[in-house]
Amino acid sequence: MDDKKENRTVIEAEVPMGTVHPGALEPYRLRLFVEDEIVRDAEMTVGVNHRGVERIMEGLPVEKANSLTEKICGICSNIHIWNSCRVGEIALGIEVPERAVYIRVIMGELERLHSHILYLAHGCEVLGHETFSMRLFYIRETVMELLRMIGGNRVQYGSAVLGGVRPRCELDEMRIQKLTEGMNLLEEGLNDFANRFVSDPMVMSRITGVGVTSPEDALRLACSGPTLRATGVELDLRTEMFEYDPFEYDVITEDDGDVKSQLLTRVFENFESIKIIRQAIRNLPDGPITNRSWEMQDTPITKSYIEAPRGTLYHSYALEDGRVRNCVIRTPSMANIGAMQYSAIGHHITDAQLCIVQCDPCFTCTDRAIQIIKR
Amino acid sequence: MELTYSLIGVIGTLAVSFIVSLLLPGIERKFIQARIQQRVGPPITSPGVMAPIKFFFKQTIDPVSPMPRLYNALPLISLIIIIILLLLLIPQMYFLGALASIIAIIGLLKVEEIMYMFMGSLSKSVLSVRMPFPDRAKGAAHPDTPRTFFEELSSLRAFRLIAFGSFPIYIALFVAVAMTGSLYLSDIIAYQQTNGPILFTLAGALGAIVFFIGYMILLNEYPFSILKGKPDVVEGPYLEYAAKYRAYVYITRGFLMFTLATLFATLFLGIAPNILNPSFIVTLIVALLFPMIMAVMSAFSPIFTYKQFYPTVAGVSIIGVVAIVAALL
Repeated sequence: MDDKKENRTVIEAEVPMGTVHPGALEPYRLRLFVEDEIVRDAEMTVGVNHRGVERIMEGLPVEKANSLTEKICGICSNIHIWNSCRVGEIALGIEVPERAVYIRVIMGELERLHSHILYLAHGCEVLGHETFSMRLFYIRETVMELLRMIGGNRVQYGSAVLGGVRPRCELDEMRIQKLTEGMNLLEEGLNDFANRFVSDPMVMSRITGVGVTSPEDALRLACSGPTLRATGVELDLRTEMFEYDPFEYDVITEDDGDVKSQLLTRVFENFESIKIIRQAIRNLPDGPITNRSWEMQDTPITKSYIEAPRGTLYHSYALEDGRVRNCVIRTPSMANIGAMQYSAIGHHITDAQLCIVQCDPCFTCTDRAIQIIKR
Repeated sequence: MELTYSLIGVIGTLAVSFIVSLLLPGIERKFIQARIQQRVGPPITSPGVMAPIKFFFKQTIDPVSPMPRLYNALPLISLIIIIILLLLLIPQMYFLGALASIIAIIGLLKVEEIMYMFMGSLSKSVLSVRMPFPDRAKGAAHPDTPRTFFEELSSLRAFRLIAFGSFPIYIALFVAVAMTGSLYLSDIIAYQQTNGPILFTLAGALGAIVFFIGYMILLNEYPFSILKGKPDVVEGPYLEYAAKYRAYVYITRGFLMFTLATLFATLFLGIAPNILNPSFIVTLIVALLFPMIMAVMSAFSPIFTYKQFYPTVAGVSIIGVVAIVAALL
């Protein structure tokens, strides 16, 4: 902090937004420095919703700590508990049954679907297109009901446990049938939406060429996930995860790095998620869904990276007497948000919020203490 | 007897207009926007009737404003202006001469537009500069930059809209003038009673399109709602209005919707608002149709920034000029 230099370039006016703003939905402070309503510089500050989950996890039994990670985010709760369990499984050398891996993938992709559709709905709302937003929420409802069916809940599913998934997440014939029907319904709805969306000249005029991030900037600012892929960089952590080895899917990229590319990347990724879920249902292996044959032992700090709906999610902790020590969590929005404040520069104030939300930010995920290490 | 008859006409027209105008926002939201968005929507009396009643009984807050009394009075002044505007459209008031002319109507509409500017410049909301947050910590960018409120921003936008946004509606008004050769409402109506409604001519049809776009801009409806865009200035000039003052804002909006539709019926169909004339039903139909068409257009549009707003206004204004030329020819 002491190293920071004040930027004293003379600018006409500052428009401070937030920390409570209806266009933002989540708490952050955005300072826009404007000249004739055009953003010349932007500064974003987070830290309003710091909850200290890592501190609470310190010393908790590992199973309890894993459950707690689910509370970090109300949108991608499943990916947090999955990754947290993954840390424990890597550290303790637990082999997860194949059927459980498939169910985890199905839950992960369903969550990606609901997260991406929520993002699209929010994007349309910030655009001022409430009808698109409402319709997307209707489409998303199918996914939410499928998540509720498997996890027993619409937000906190608690599906992953050390060594597999909870017994209530077992997929029987009826559930598989409903998943199949749900995917058909979802594909139809998303197809309709995508066709309407790209053929709307007013919407295209609002989002084309707005909030451009170059691939070089995206990499320099450590963007990840769809935010990075929308700039043309083909980087998807799922290609490196053993859980996704049995599945065929494409890594979606767009070339322009603008709001349109960001939105379309998520639209097309939805179809890839549907493809993965269909493969998982079709090839779902038989067998147990939980491996209980493991012993607790002390382990050093173990890391796990996973492809969350918003990008790369990092969890690490050590185990001591079955309790969690030195837990660190880094969510993808942290880097993505930082990049977006640059993308707003040069655009009209009305586009500024759009430029920020184009990276699908989650501030409650992101509000945690960080240490920036300059390399 | 004739005076009593006229008084009944004026008061009756105002009363019916007022009742219908209270229902218009509800009809727009319940039957069009909600249906398009596949949701139930509010009860039809909710936005225009129940909401203002509720707000009248809420506790009023003291706004942070350099002139709080003037600031609070502005919605009421706006309502009075719209009532005067409707009054001047009623045939019994045409004896006022120049006041019942296009020039007076334009003047009153301009005053209505200026109100947004005053509202914006007199308000200091809690959502922007006054929100306590340590954003001037060491290392903050541009520490000496003057800070503006959302309302100041919307006030600047209101000023711009006065300059260019209202072009379409004023051009459309002059289509009727060019066609009839008179600024007086009585002459415009008389012309149409003889020659048929202007709407059914080429110039009139083009003028009607231009008028409708101007109607949407004046009502700050999507996609022309940059004055009160949710992504940046939130509610714009209305942000700090609470309790009965917000009730006035709601009532004024409904009344403006009705009055502008009535103005259209007068200028393009030759039907002045008069409850004693059976053709008043046409005025009511127009008053219902306008918000409905507007709701359909709004439901399928994002907010326009200046990048889309300028070309739209320019294009519509050109159509308006073509309409005037066609009317003159």
